[in-house]
Amino acid sequence: MASKNNTIVRIAGAAGDGIQSTGELLGKTCSRMGLHVLAYNSFQSAIRGGHVWLQMAIGTEKQLDHGEEPEVLLLFNKTSPPVHVPDVKSGGIVFYNAASIKKEDIESLRLDLNYYGLDFKTMVAEAGLTNVSPVMINVMLAGALVESLNLDPKVTLEFIKHKFLKKGNEILELNNKIFNLGFEWTKINVKPLELKLKGDNKPKLFMSGNDAIGMGLVAGGLKFYAAYPMSPATGILHYLSTIARSDKLIIKQVEDELAAINYAVGAGHAGVRAAIGTAGGGFCLMVEGIGLAGMAEVPVVAVLVQRGGPSTGVPTKIEQADLNLAMGGNGEFPRFILVPKDLEDCFYQAARALNIAEKYQVPVILMSDFFLSEHFETIDDFDFSKIKIERGKFMTQWNKNEKYKRYAYVEDGISQRVKPGIPGAMHLVVSDEHNEYGHLMSDVEAGLPHAREERIKMHAKRMRKIQSMIENGDAKPPVLEGDIKAETTFVTWGSTYAYVKSAIRLLEKEGIKVNNLHFTDVYPIPKEQTLAMLQKCKRLISVEANMCNSLCRQILAEIGFEITEHINRFDGEPFTGEYIVKEFKKKLEASKQLVNA
Amino acid sequence: MSANIVERKERPALDPKDFKGEIHPDWCPGCGDFGVLNCLQRALAELGIPQHEIAIISGIGCSSNLPGFINTYGMHTLHGRALPCAQGFKLSHHDMTVVAVGGDGDGYGIGVGHFVHALRRNIDLTYIVMNNSIYGLTTGQTSPTSELGMKTKSTPFGNPEAPLNPLTLALGSGASFVSRAFSGNPKQAVEIYKAAIKHKGFALIDTFSPCVTFNKINTAQFYRDNTYDINKEGHDTSSIEAAFVLAMKDTYGTNRIATGIFYQNERPCYEETEKDTLSIPVVDHKLGISPERAKELKARFK
Repeated sequence: MASKNNTIVRIAGAAGDGIQSTGELLGKTCSRMGLHVLAYNSFQSAIRGGHVWLQMAIGTEKQLDHGEEPEVLLLFNKTSPPVHVPDVKSGGIVFYNAASIKKEDIESLRLDLNYYGLDFKTMVAEAGLTNVSPVMINVMLAGALVESLNLDPKVTLEFIKHKFLKKGNEILELNNKIFNLGFEWTKINVKPLELKLKGDNKPKLFMSGNDAIGMGLVAGGLKFYAAYPMSPATGILHYLSTIARSDKLIIKQVEDELAAINYAVGAGHAGVRAAIGTAGGGFCLMVEGIGLAGMAEVPVVAVLVQRGGPSTGVPTKIEQADLNLAMGGNGEFPRFILVPKDLEDCFYQAARALNIAEKYQVPVILMSDFFLSEHFETIDDFDFSKIKIERGKFMTQWNKNEKYKRYAYVEDGISQRVKPGIPGAMHLVVSDEHNEYGHLMSDVEAGLPHAREERIKMHAKRMRKIQSMIENGDAKPPVLEGDIKAETTFVTWGSTYAYVKSAIRLLEKEGIKVNNLHFTDVYPIPKEQTLAMLQKCKRLISVEANMCNSLCRQILAEIGFEITEHINRFDGEPFTGEYIVKEFKKKLEASKQLVNA
Repeated sequence: MSANIVERKERPALDPKDFKGEIHPDWCPGCGDFGVLNCLQRALAELGIPQHEIAIISGIGCSSNLPGFINTYGMHTLHGRALPCAQGFKLSHHDMTVVAVGGDGDGYGIGVGHFVHALRRNIDLTYIVMNNSIYGLTTGQTSPTSELGMKTKSTPFGNPEAPLNPLTLALGSGASFVSRAFSGNPKQAVEIYKAAIKHKGFALIDTFSPCVTFNKINTAQFYRDNTYDINKEGHDTSSIEAAFVLAMKDTYGTNRIATGIFYQNERPCYEETEKDTLSIPVVDHKLGISPERAKELKARFK
């Protein structure tokens, strides 16, 4: 909900219209002024021609979701008005491209809005500007937005300079003039909104969740990343590729997902910190490789960015329905699954994932989703000094007289792991069941009495790592946020955290007390602590972007506690605080009626 | 920084006995894979590469058990995935000698997607395919190199599919070293393996390795009777055209099955494109980001 120190802007048009450029100019202006921005792209799987829009929540405080009702709407093409005009907050501003949208078509849609048609071609012609490309309308519209939101045009011009300087002074000058054209026109013609968007003047990071995951991996010592392009995980590959040379990383696009995971297993065994990134469909192809990492005890991090499924599903929309997949694979093997709750957390959890993978010599699955990975947000700062690289029982020397046992039976299940290439510790890592030395028992020994005993011991050794993760405090219980005495507790995982936080703020304003029990680590789950927390809550409602309540099923399977009330969304659009409040009130109403009946 | 990422040192020969693993191979008596194992051990010993500087990486199948029988580092991975694991390993630890091994089902069937890309990518490793034209470990089904009409457990009325030609496939996929050996001709095989390991780039050795149990057609005697060494007949290994002509001959139906080095072209290997990153092996890089670099990484997003 827009108030004095925050607002919502929506920009819509055809794919290829340059919505991203306008969004970037506005976003960077805000983030450089020290304002907070959260931007969400709604688009389809088409490079040109689909109808796309970008919604940005801007404010002096941290923005938790992209909101429902835009206060300023900017429309590029004639498909846009009927789709977006109905959503605008009453009294809001609508800018439109007068060259493609007719005045009578749009202004009759609603009478409670202020409409402004901008005729780019005529305006640049009247200003005597030549060599103007049609895409430069983005810069003019950015000028209109900056003035109508009462932002600092000097900051935008500085960013334009940064962006266009390499294209030469002439282009830069032209962009400056076009920006000012939009800015001055708006100053004269548009009744400004009553907004005080004052930033703290500390420029913020403005990035996507995929950028944050990529940066977190690098901060955590990543040296090797293999991937096959797949939305919404591709952003990680793109970001890492830009710094591959400067930061001496091996970043490989390979022939398929089977190759990606097995490249990473090879690299992980060689002794480098390796990761892959993919979406659910790609992860399906990788499951056997994840099992190999589990069996061979090779550290590897798999970033699984969820999108609408099943199969190819809805590639550019959000869903949280891949937890079963992350838990999948043939046989039983230890793994760790963690889920960042917001963009800042993406950075820290990515680095943490690499530590856990090496400490326990297991595959670690970091789950994100379309919203978390693809939306842009401002971040105050990432504290790299908080990242400590812990390599567990990794050894670069072997001076002992005894023969090296790769899979030595040890209490915590984690055997010493040596860097291949050092003298005296030659060994084999294997996908077949094996003894302490890595010698296979599958072919000629399996079933013989000593092999049965060995099988039990080796399987148990691997599985003891799960207990070690809990005992060492690496697998953490959920975190309860908000009023401890609240009547209702929302249960969340991953990106639903922030929407629920936003809902809680809205409900607090109405005097309704709710809190949030949030799971970051979804496997393994420490049973006693988690059970105690759940049992203290009065009324539990899960909030998940799926139909079948993956998290609740996980909690039931792992600790035997059932959550019976749910708020779900699986139409592909992300939750918002307002959406959750509405659904929650329906539940309150239903329970009241139940009492009265 | 080393001027040349991929170096080949001349070293004194080692004793092949030191390459013997602790485990005795569980292959059927008379299996061609024994010959391949011996030849590989001899080739590595003659090149003088210490055991700890070698990684043998396999997929799944009878022949993929080989890393268990040789005293080096190694990985025994998934069916069809020897090459991705080997390439990931090699890029991370490029100072080690990496040899991928497996069967025709592993490399030309389930793993063929990786095979063609490994050829064009040209990472500096050696790939020995023990080709017996049959699935042995799964007890005798048709393989990608089984000849047309061959009766197997899964094709009791004869194999309806034409065999894949690994050599033309390799030549057409940008290979820089293409060769064929026969496990029953160790003298030739050792020389080819040595040349392949010394080759800077991806080197394929399709090796006839007869299955004594399930393939009664392509037997050791069959290959002894029907193979000849192209390198003894003046074949020009720098000519891809000549290599194609020899490789395209119907090797399974004639008595003139070509073996030897078909093609060798030392084009720059993949590692040369990552000179800066590989100036020291990635596994020895310092991990993490300096405070100064952290500032730069963040500045890009401001």
